[in-house]
Amino acid sequence: MFFVGGESNVKDYYDVVVIGGGPGGMSAALYAGRAGLSCLVIEGNSTGGQMNETDIIENYPGFEEIKGPVLGEKMRRHAEKFGAQFHTATVIDADFSGQVKRVFLDDGKVISSEVVIISTGASHRKLNVPGEKELSGKGVSYCATCDGHFFKGKKVALVGGGDTAMTEALYLANLVDEVLVIHRRDKLRATKVLQDRAFEKPNIKFIWNSIVKEIKGSDKVEKVVVENKKTGEITELEVDGIFIAIGVVPNSGIFKGKVHMDSQGYIVTDENMETNVKGVYAAGDVRSKKLRQVVTAVAEGAIAASHAAETYFG
Amino acid sequence: MGLLSEQDVQYLKDLFGKEMKDDVKILIFKSDDKSRCEYCDITVSVFSEVAEIDDRIKLEVYDIDDDEAIANKYDIKGRVPAIVFLTADGTDKGVRYFGIPSGHEFSTVIQNIISFSNGAKPDLSQNSINKISQIDVPTEILVFVTPTCPYCPRAVLLAHEIAKANDNIKAAMVEANEFPEWSMEHGVSAVPHIVVNDETAFIGAYPEDMFVDHVVQHVLG
Ligand SMILES: Cc1cc2nc3c(=O)[nH]c(=O)nc-3n(C[C@H](O)[C@H](O)[C@H](O)COP(=O)(O)OP(=O)(O)OC[C@H]3O[C@@H](n4cnc5c(N)ncnc54)[C@H](O)[C@@H]3O)c2cc1C
Repeated sequence: MFFVGGESNVKDYYDVVVIGGGPGGMSAALYAGRAGLSCLVIEGNSTGGQMNETDIIENYPGFEEIKGPVLGEKMRRHAEKFGAQFHTATVIDADFSGQVKRVFLDDGKVISSEVVIISTGASHRKLNVPGEKELSGKGVSYCATCDGHFFKGKKVALVGGGDTAMTEALYLANLVDEVLVIHRRDKLRATKVLQDRAFEKPNIKFIWNSIVKEIKGSDKVEKVVVENKKTGEITELEVDGIFIAIGVVPNSGIFKGKVHMDSQGYIVTDENMETNVKGVYAAGDVRSKKLRQVVTAVAEGAIAASHAAETYFG
Repeated sequence: MGLLSEQDVQYLKDLFGKEMKDDVKILIFKSDDKSRCEYCDITVSVFSEVAEIDDRIKLEVYDIDDDEAIANKYDIKGRVPAIVFLTADGTDKGVRYFGIPSGHEFSTVIQNIISFSNGAKPDLSQNSINKISQIDVPTEILVFVTPTCPYCPRAVLLAHEIAKANDNIKAAMVEANEFPEWSMEHGVSAVPHIVVNDETAFIGAYPEDMFVDHVVQHVLG
């Protein structure tokens, strides 16, 4: 596959600036573009967001099965068709104090706009155990699609029990010799179909009621120290790598003190996705809500952009 | 059917029409020996398709053995497929790819075509350019990637922009799966993995200022 996303010269003013090019941001851009507004999507990595880490998505209506990055590319093209522009850069600061908002990019650019839609999504939560940071990139990984290939024919641990964890376990099971799923409860949180599939794979093994205490190794991961919460027993598992999929944290740090957030740092909005600051919206995984999925992210992006179009450009 | 869809081709035609100025030269070094280069054919094919879209894109394909002198000039060291970008007048800014830039990585190729066609000026903040200008020794940045890594293209682009900002610096994408020994040598097990002057400098995705600081610190201590 070859993704051909290109960029045009960036201007210094747009009607709408979208921060983050995941599904939420791209849907917002599509709606903004169709409403006739000029729109720039600023993406720090690759457009598609977390969909890029999803081998197969099978719960986005209309697509029984689609590769995450392919859906991402389709969404980008769709938004571009209606005039949205994309730029690769990370937003490092924002000023929402005036009617005209400003965002500051790591490549030195400053972009002004009437409306800002924050769709920065979420990132992998860390375990915060000894050895995790030291061995990060040396066998500790948060992205199976990125790094799974390096463990072909090897044995890896995978921490977590939700949808993301099972998706990653299934992906890894096709590459590596053995996947040891370490989960702190005695059953999985993941959707039933994913559970069934994981239980069917002979090379996925489960270590229940257990938490990771430490990751050991001199210059690469060698052992994972696990404690059984029920029995208190400590065991050392010999593995070549450990993948961590224990949930997400919102990418909202740069907006602290600028818009209201809940106690976990998710951005709080009204039903139109508008924050407490007029003209500043939030959509997708970064928003305070229950269901974090592609289908909810795109819905919220659409709501935000159409409300903004009516309210500020009507 | 080609590797690029009709839609992709139309999209690129519009984009190049709008954003390109001068010619761009792309050199590809390949080997016909499949055991040595699994992806050389497909690399040449996809670049040929791109070159057909706009005649300002000038593709030159060389054989790594038959065209040894040219390969040596660009310091390819037998690593195929290798891709080198040059401006219209043949200026080498040190921008390289080793291995096929497929998946997300291909978007960096499109960016480089537009950049080199506009003189290959670094798209970095003035602050970064000032820091990079301190590097006064020959420096090589290697960014190890996999095609399925969404965090890698930005790292590759940043490394390439750094190379454009200072003639002492070369920067290359390395597709880790195609160069297992080279990857092992540097202990690559997560990407992006950044090697500067033959030593691992850092692993992971960083915004511009931190990326630049890591590189500069690694070279100058
Ligand atoms: C392994 C895995 C499997 C999944 N499987 C499914 C599934 O099967 N079905 C489903 O519906 N959902 C699935 N999800 C969840 C789904 O991917 C997310 O809910 C969805 O992508 C959220 O979209 P978003 O646009 O809110 O944020 P994201 O997708 O997180 O995108 C946010 C984007 O913003 C960018 N960004 C962040 N900060 C900045 C900044 N400061 N400057 C510039 N850019 C920034 C990020 O680089 C990112 O690209 C899965 C997630 C994972 C990780």
